[in-house]
Amino acid sequence: MLAARASAARSASRLARNFATVVETAGVKVAAADSGEATSAVTFVVKAGSRFEPKAGVAHALKNYAFKSTSKRSTLATIREAELLGGVLSSSLSREHLAVTAEFLRGDESFFVDALSSFFTSAKFTRHELIEYVAPVCEAETTAAHANPATRAIDLAHTLAFRAGLGSSIFTSPGQHVSAEDVEAYASTVFGKGNLAVLGTGIDSATLQGLLEKSLGSLPAAAAPSTAPSRYFGGETRIEAHGAPETVFIGFGQVGASAPELAVLAAYLDPTPSIKWSQGLSPIASQVPVGASVKAVLLPYSDATLFGLLVQGPSTEAVKAAGKAAVSALKEAGAAKGEDLQRAIAKAKFAASSSVDGREGLISLLGSKALAGSEASLDSALSALDKVDSSAFSKATSELLKGKPTFVAVGNKSLPYQDELGL
Amino acid sequence: MTILGPLGPSLAPAVRANKNLYRWVKPFADWYANLAGWRKVGLKYDDLRANSNSALQAIGRLTPREYYDRAFRYKRASHLSVLHTTLPKDQWTKPEEDKRYLAPHVRNVEAEDQERFKWDHMEVHRN
Repeated sequence: MLAARASAARSASRLARNFATVVETAGVKVAAADSGEATSAVTFVVKAGSRFEPKAGVAHALKNYAFKSTSKRSTLATIREAELLGGVLSSSLSREHLAVTAEFLRGDESFFVDALSSFFTSAKFTRHELIEYVAPVCEAETTAAHANPATRAIDLAHTLAFRAGLGSSIFTSPGQHVSAEDVEAYASTVFGKGNLAVLGTGIDSATLQGLLEKSLGSLPAAAAPSTAPSRYFGGETRIEAHGAPETVFIGFGQVGASAPELAVLAAYLDPTPSIKWSQGLSPIASQVPVGASVKAVLLPYSDATLFGLLVQGPSTEAVKAAGKAAVSALKEAGAAKGEDLQRAIAKAKFAASSSVDGREGLISLLGSKALAGSEASLDSALSALDKVDSSAFSKATSELLKGKPTFVAVGNKSLPYQDELGL
Repeated sequence: MTILGPLGPSLAPAVRANKNLYRWVKPFADWYANLAGWRKVGLKYDDLRANSNSALQAIGRLTPREYYDRAFRYKRASHLSVLHTTLPKDQWTKPEEDKRYLAPHVRNVEAEDQERFKWDHMEVHRN
């Protein structure tokens, strides 16, 4: 009785969080759901990440060109009008997608949808804005990202793991000259109706479609950019850094759509406890020295996945001990069964569901699905996780570990090498 | 806003609009431009404008090549001034080279300043 009620409540809330349908409006895929939020948010997702850029740093510059002058309104007008209405405009970049978002009070959708659309239809990409606003921001973001050893390690790991394509960094490389013409040329190839999906939350689907029909009429019908399918390579690199935690990334990659078993593996190994200041049940948790940390990182892309363990600590000894524990746990992970596996599945399902509760998670999970035109919902991901059993799990784990590892060390010279951790 | 100087109020658009008037005025304009002498030291008309704030910002928007050429023209002209001479005639700025390379940028900067002024001083009415 109690169980039945609990599951009914769960499925009801799940329904409310899902974008039930993806509709084509003006040639663009639109998915919207209104579950009674106090504010609305509209996100334009395009396949315009660093994977598709013709030259390093172009995608990053394009991201920062968002909300600059268009033939409809100037940079200043966009800023002032958004402030008068009390909304927030933001853009974010991943290796595959560029997401441009507006969050605003209900009722202001006509201005904000137009502000977003005009970036895609009539951005000016002026040279002086590149020099005066865009390039300094790109540089600052790159500096900040490189100051964080974890970001740096994962960025390098992508380059080692996938080389071209997914391997190209989402940050501008210092010294690489990107011109306004480069950005404009890239924008003209990726800004097209066939490459754009619009996600709305807290906004009625019909309202959003009406506004898009008005504002996106002049968008050319370009299709998604094509790339060579990803290949996994792997390798080892080390970078000296000081003043930040010693960091080691131990990763494995796989091509093809991301398997649900990998999400379970990440949940199984991740030693982050469910209650703060306690020790979790993860096989790594008990062996991590005080002060050091291990995090499971799972980065799924459309045709490849990078799975890894990020080991950080105050000293190289601590990182070495934690790294050894992490590697041995990773090697024995395939044997997990019974209650251990069920626990990991439950954790993975919770992680997948709770990430969708936030707007960012929702966009990163469902944006790519909406772009592909498939059903933008969480249900398929959850039911795939439910189906994971011990044989499939051990098979997926052993297959993952067969590949060449991707090993990155960022920090002191005395950080361990790959073979010293037992890889 | 500039009152005097290359971006001040000008009758030129009105003259250009009237074909007959343009045909009459053009020879005098050319004569005056040559007489004023900036072409004889290799400068362009836009090199003469005073460095107001908006002009300085506009200079920052020139392409690296335009910026370098401008600096070169200044250097050559000030050297000629020291020598109390002009360039040999074949090196004078040709009328077709005497383009307004800076004016569009200055106009953009001034339009932006005006827009900022408008936004800073507007009164908001909400329905």
